[in-house]
Amino acid sequence: MNDKLRAFSGQLVAVLIALAMGAVIIMLIDESPIKVFMTLMRGAFGDQAKIAGTLLQTTPILICGIAACIGLRGGMFNVGIEGQLFLGGFAAAWVGFAMPLPPGLHVVVAMAVAVIAGAAWVSIPAFFRTRYGTNEVVSTILSNYVAVLLTSYLTIFLFKRPGGWSETPPILASAYLPELFAFSRLNWGLIIGLVLALFVAWFFRSTAKGYSISMVGSAPKFAEYGGIDVKRQGFLVLLASGAVGGLAGGIETLGVHHRFMEGFAPGFGFDGLIAALLANGSPIGTIVTALFFGALRNGSLLLETDTNASREIITVIQALIILSVSAQVLMKRRGDSTAGERRWKF
Amino acid sequence: MKNMFRKCIIAGATLAASIGSGSAQDKVSVAAISGYFAQGFGISIVDGLNKAKGEFGIDLKLVDTGNRALDYEEQFANLAKDGQYDLIFVMGWELVDALTKASEAYPNQRFVFIDGVLDSKKIVYANFAEEQGSFIAGALAGMIENQGSAFDKIGDGKAIGFVGGRDIPVIRNFLGGYEQGSKYAAPDVKVNSVFAGTFDDPAKGSELALALYGQGADIVYNVAGPTGEGVMQASAGADKYSIGVDIDMCSSAPGNVLASMLKRGDVAVYSLIKNEVEGNKVVAGSTHTFDLASGGVEVKVCDDIAPSIPADVTAKLDEIKKGIADGSIKVDRAK
Repeated sequence: MNDKLRAFSGQLVAVLIALAMGAVIIMLIDESPIKVFMTLMRGAFGDQAKIAGTLLQTTPILICGIAACIGLRGGMFNVGIEGQLFLGGFAAAWVGFAMPLPPGLHVVVAMAVAVIAGAAWVSIPAFFRTRYGTNEVVSTILSNYVAVLLTSYLTIFLFKRPGGWSETPPILASAYLPELFAFSRLNWGLIIGLVLALFVAWFFRSTAKGYSISMVGSAPKFAEYGGIDVKRQGFLVLLASGAVGGLAGGIETLGVHHRFMEGFAPGFGFDGLIAALLANGSPIGTIVTALFFGALRNGSLLLETDTNASREIITVIQALIILSVSAQVLMKRRGDSTAGERRWKF
Repeated sequence: MKNMFRKCIIAGATLAASIGSGSAQDKVSVAAISGYFAQGFGISIVDGLNKAKGEFGIDLKLVDTGNRALDYEEQFANLAKDGQYDLIFVMGWELVDALTKASEAYPNQRFVFIDGVLDSKKIVYANFAEEQGSFIAGALAGMIENQGSAFDKIGDGKAIGFVGGRDIPVIRNFLGGYEQGSKYAAPDVKVNSVFAGTFDDPAKGSELALALYGQGADIVYNVAGPTGEGVMQASAGADKYSIGVDIDMCSSAPGNVLASMLKRGDVAVYSLIKNEVEGNKVVAGSTHTFDLASGGVEVKVCDDIAPSIPADVTAKLDEIKKGIADGSIKVDRAK
């Protein structure tokens, strides 16, 4: 517990350092950091619509974050969540507009197809990883580009709505993921994300299967010696991670946009990965970090209209957070290895 | 100490008064929202907004949408919620969905959609007669192509090309005008058209233009945003001609750019704001068309090419311009 507390306070300090550096940058562009942070807070939590907006932004980051957590726990670095999100989103939209089904069933089938699409997309790099030991980081990154362009192709050349922007026809109302409130687009996706986070946390903490996956992640040699089929398990971990990535896309299409547009949700896959890394691969922690990023993003939209600072300042602050968190990890390692004999000696 | 305290109060009161009087003044306040302020057509809109700001002292707020569709509705709501802006200019077809919703949620807010007309009656439209400008571009290209080998870099292909960005109504309208103009001035010249499917891929634009040049077209009209930058480069590579769009592109491949079809976004926003300042407020549902006659579109032949254009071509172009302006030449809009 003490260790966990130390890790948490470390992350917190890293975030605070990043915010302080962000404040310096804001001052450099002649804007008051206090005003910027107040506007950010107002934009993120100012009234019920703003809070709902923050949660709306949080949803895809959270679900992509859970996808990343599954991979990280199992020792697999799935950087292809972005691509799985796009394919899942497209697949769900396709079921939504091309396959009339009774209400209720329709949305379930569409989400199931999104999950399958995400898993199917990651199965290619997962196969090469298992069969030939190809580095999954490189192959999943590259598969992102293919996924984004493939969905663009499908949208523009095969399924484009006549006239208007490059987007598919709208999905049928029976495939809508219901909204939670009348005043916002916030929908059941958030609830699904939260339940999924709790489920994954429970799975890793309390089941034998979850334990064996964590073992492979933290000590693959030991796990293999203990009789676990490391390759097969790695394949399944990537598949599960991709499936959740696909689900994230499906929820965006069915709950928010009600159609698939070319380039419909760029960057959420990476935001999710960062949220998961910041939470040390803990699904519960990812709820907190995803909420943090969601609040930053939603707040930044008001920042753009109400101050002279650009919305992009948030991207800068996010990057600073990543830098300071990774620096903190490095410093901690150095601290561990040099404990005792070399500490304070230069 | 007491004195200082009083000074502070006075300073604070003056400050408050100045803020108060600032908002009480009947100053026109304008916002513009788009993801494309840094390129082509967007730059000309920003120019027009800044010109209006300089001349009329309006309040101006530019908002960059970024590229996440999830953000758009929230951004419109943030701009419209206080009723702080008299006009909100909107540019970009990807914003249409969010714009339509915002115009229904904030019925008193006047949004001006630049570059197109939608179904909604709650929005003001600033439309460009790009078909008229494209007609002249087509007539120019057709007549130059007709010169054959008498004109530098022109072959006997009797064909001209067109590279569009996405296959959307506004781009179809460019193509329609171009085809009509070419047919009017040079009936024998064929128009080969192709769509890149994207506005953001210069490599693809270059590839498509090279293919068109390979098929015998000697002049390619680029209506493809950043994708079109590749078209301009390809014209230099193949040593053929290209025609630029939206802004003056003569400098992107000197010697190989024949002309540019300018869509004067700056003219449009400036004149709408001018109307607003003078009390002629635009009303929702109205469409303001900026055409050849009002200076909203024009074809600018590049300076380095102009001297080599035969006099009869120039004369014919002037005749066409006059004909379009007085209505004797009808240019159909694409459906």
